[in-house]
Amino acid sequence: MDLERFRERFGDKVKIDKNILTLADKKDLIRVVKFVSKYFDVLYMLIVVHRPPKFELNYIFSRYQDQEIIQIKVEISDKENIASISNVFKSAEWEEREAYDMFGIVFRDHPDLRRILLPEDWPGHPMRKDFVVTEEIKHWTGLDLKF
Amino acid sequence: MGEIELNIGPVHPATHGVLRLKARVEKDTVLGGDVEIGYLHRAMEKIAEQRLFNSFFPNVDKLEYVSALNWEILYASVLEKALGIDIPPRAKYIRVILAEIQRIMSHLIFIGAFGQDLGNITVFTWALRERELLMDIVEKISGGRLAPMYLRVGGTEYDLPEGFDSMILPVLDRLEEKVNKDYKAVTYENSLFKMRTKGVGVLTRDTVKKYGITGPNMRASGIERDLRRSEPYFVYDSLDFDIPVEDAGDSYARFMVRIREIQESIKILRQAVRALPKGNYINKQPWMFKIPPTEAFVRQECPRGEGAMFLVTDGGMKAYRLKIRSPSFYTVQAMPEIIKGARVADLFTIIASLDPVMGEVDR
Repeated sequence: MDLERFRERFGDKVKIDKNILTLADKKDLIRVVKFVSKYFDVLYMLIVVHRPPKFELNYIFSRYQDQEIIQIKVEISDKENIASISNVFKSAEWEEREAYDMFGIVFRDHPDLRRILLPEDWPGHPMRKDFVVTEEIKHWTGLDLKF
Repeated sequence: MGEIELNIGPVHPATHGVLRLKARVEKDTVLGGDVEIGYLHRAMEKIAEQRLFNSFFPNVDKLEYVSALNWEILYASVLEKALGIDIPPRAKYIRVILAEIQRIMSHLIFIGAFGQDLGNITVFTWALRERELLMDIVEKISGGRLAPMYLRVGGTEYDLPEGFDSMILPVLDRLEEKVNKDYKAVTYENSLFKMRTKGVGVLTRDTVKKYGITGPNMRASGIERDLRRSEPYFVYDSLDFDIPVEDAGDSYARFMVRIREIQESIKILRQAVRALPKGNYINKQPWMFKIPPTEAFVRQECPRGEGAMFLVTDGGMKAYRLKIRSPSFYTVQAMPEIIKGARVADLFTIIASLDPVMGEVDR
């Protein structure tokens, strides 16, 4: 796919390197993603990388007619929230729930932002780099038991 | 009688693991539902950050216990891409052979479990009997059965055993005969089987595209796409095989795609065994190694769809972040939409025909 289209449309708001688009500002995310949805069918993966004090969100989009993929990279501070893209790409719904579950990122306007893999009363968000795996966590059962 | 909520699972013999389905039911029609996952979550991605790259191989086996070798190959490939190393031609062929053996084994489990859910125990025992033949071969190759731990960065742990072709070729002949004759009689040419599966749980092309469903489920809905063909890795571009596609999108089509994929895998295996080159089988790497800061993304065609791994490294001996894309995760996400309007009795047919493996969904 010709990524020049993105350069024409968004100018210096995006930085293009091969098939990786880096957004300068997280506010542009929804606009860029809507533009992506003209050419791509589905959110293929959402990869969150915690580099304290920042989260790096990598959205990979793919389409069914060929093997093109595009990766959109956006950085947010680990205390901020970000807009949900699930009303543009339906498959983002569970991926964003997983990101919330594992990292505690709040996605604004998400229809159903709950934990997905962990129990509802799990303490904390385990994939964050500042999450400490204590003895208590290792033996966590959800019940009031003492080991 | 009004609407009731019917809870199925998480521990139920027909949900193929620990899938919990909360269906809203009126009389015997399903109005909708909600899926709950996470009962088999084992923190695989967190463990990957705490182990040496090579020490994570045993965990990849348990990630998806029905097609362990495919995921091992995927994990080895992502490490090789991050390291920027190439593997010898023999190793490529060995990996193709292993991937196809595992694909057949995985589809046989599907056929067996599907038969069992329809009340057809005969095909369940038959499928496990044929799988056992391949299981013995995997055992002779690697020493393991469900969890082989055979792959290494740069190749494989050992070479294939002596006389490998005389071991596998008779098994393939037998398997082909069974799939084409015996299985045909009790499943896909059987009128009862057709009644239970045709038109049940139709997955439309739009739903496939909306949720990102891949693999046999997608091909049963009329989309021709296979990473082995369109983005060939290893030696798939030099092998001759077809991509089975069905248009109906129902449970029967999903079954047929898998039956025909077994036949194609047999074809691939025969070619790969014949063309297997001599020589080195591993580009040996040290047990402990560092990977400079980089990002690597690899995707391959696993039996349940497109599996992918995204590895982020920081120059250390452990992964900084490893994200696993499980194809079943996306299929299960679409389940509420697929079961809408179905009969309660067909619910298990639909779940079984989508072939989710919860170990892979929950990671």
